Amino acid sequence: MSFLLPKLTSKKEVDQAIKSTAEKVLVLRFGRDEDPVCLQLDDILSKTTSDLSKMAAVYLVDVDHTPVYTQYFDISYIPSTVFFFNGQHMKVDYGSPDHTKFVGSFKTKQDFIDLIEVIYRGAMRGKLIVQSPIDPKNIPKYDLLYQDI
Amino acid sequence: MAPPQRCTLCRQTFFCGRGHVYSRKHQRQLKGALERLLPQVEAARKAIRAAQVERYVPEHDRRCWCLCCGFEVRKHLSHGNLTVLHGGLLEHLASPEHKKATNKFWWENKAEAQMKEKFLISPQDYARFKKSMVKSLDSYEEKEDEVIKEVRRKGLQKPEPEEGSSAPASWKGMNSQVASSSEHLSHLDLQPTPEFDWMETGQPLTFIGHQDIPGVGNIHSGATPPWMIQDEEESSGNLPIGPSYEEFLKEKEKQKLKKLPPERVGANFDHNSSTSAGWLPSFGRVWNNGRRWQSRHQFKTEAASRNKKGKS
Repeated sequence: MSFLLPKLTSKKEVDQAIKSTAEKVLVLRFGRDEDPVCLQLDDILSKTTSDLSKMAAVYLVDVDHTPVYTQYFDISYIPSTVFFFNGQHMKVDYGSPDHTKFVGSFKTKQDFIDLIEVIYRGAMRGKLIVQSPIDPKNIPKYDLLYQDI
Repeated sequence: MAPPQRCTLCRQTFFCGRGHVYSRKHQRQLKGALERLLPQVEAARKAIRAAQVERYVPEHDRRCWCLCCGFEVRKHLSHGNLTVLHGGLLEHLASPEHKKATNKFWWENKAEAQMKEKFLISPQDYARFKKSMVKSLDSYEEKEDEVIKEVRRKGLQKPEPEEGSSAPASWKGMNSQVASSSEHLSHLDLQPTPEFDWMETGQPLTFIGHQDIPGVGNIHSGATPPWMIQDEEESSGNLPIGPSYEEFLKEKEKQKLKKLPPERVGANFDHNSSTSAGWLPSFGRVWNNGRRWQSRHQFKTEAASRNKKGKS
């Protein structure tokens, strides 16, 4: 599945993608291609990418190849999905502690499609943070603060 | 024509007066709405015989839309940290106000009279529900007491740490019931490390290490994003200043999207454009609907034919 989606392998390529994607939501999946949850997410992304082609552009980024971005976005769990619109980072309130990215995989394709639509509409209206339409039950749970401490 | 009325079922305004209710569309909407409401009522009806008591979970605050009364009703009845499933809905359905509202709804929307009974709960049924609720509450308390005794016994024996359903159930049970110090100690012994697996229904996410490097900021601390930082390779002296040809084309496309016919009169009117004498909105049409240019076109053709008739 991950061979169906375009990949970005360096910081420069990611910069380029962020700066050049216009009028579409940019979806960057940070993770590793072999990781099982990443595979699930990539499956959903690749199946919905053609339907969302007018609203979103999806790219895969390997966390090991872009340490700058991994550190900037504080990516501790993979997969993490970050959304941009016209070079602006879009935050989404999923009901989880971190609004800057979506951690984990989506439960269904429809969840992802709904989320992209909400982000697109919010961004077109000039919002920088939107409320996620996904049922909180379907948002993967993770514990950010006290791991290994 | 009758005065405009709004049908909340069809979510439409209609001008047919009393005829709307008999129309196919309305009856279809009505059927759909009742079909959506029926499973909720049936589930509540089942609960009359066998009331279930569960530990409180925020999901139990969910509300159900009562079609007949036109407001949201709490589906489950919760008190403290226990919930009786479908209690709230049953209470509402048995109330006399709901009965009145249902009768009114049936009469106004001309629904089938046989269906009406399915959506009402008689007071006797409600009394039966209350009895079964009391019974199930008692049995629930007994179960909780048993669980507490089990854990106390296990705490004294000090076994290996338990994973899975028994540990969280007992942990939750203890939290919600009596919290005595001995129970807290035994709870801490059972779970030496914080477990994340029982919170996640799917596979646990891979942890790739803290991205906390002191000195370098990240998104949460508000540092500049990496894509805003100019790389050393990109030197602005090489490239010509100004937008490139592709960017210019893109701008043109964007303009096209926003363009509206320039001759029109209205919001965002271009005051610099010249206007002809035909700009006034009225062309003598009275019952007009549709765009202004259509009535204008009509007016022009008529004016032309009138002139032609007049001249020749």
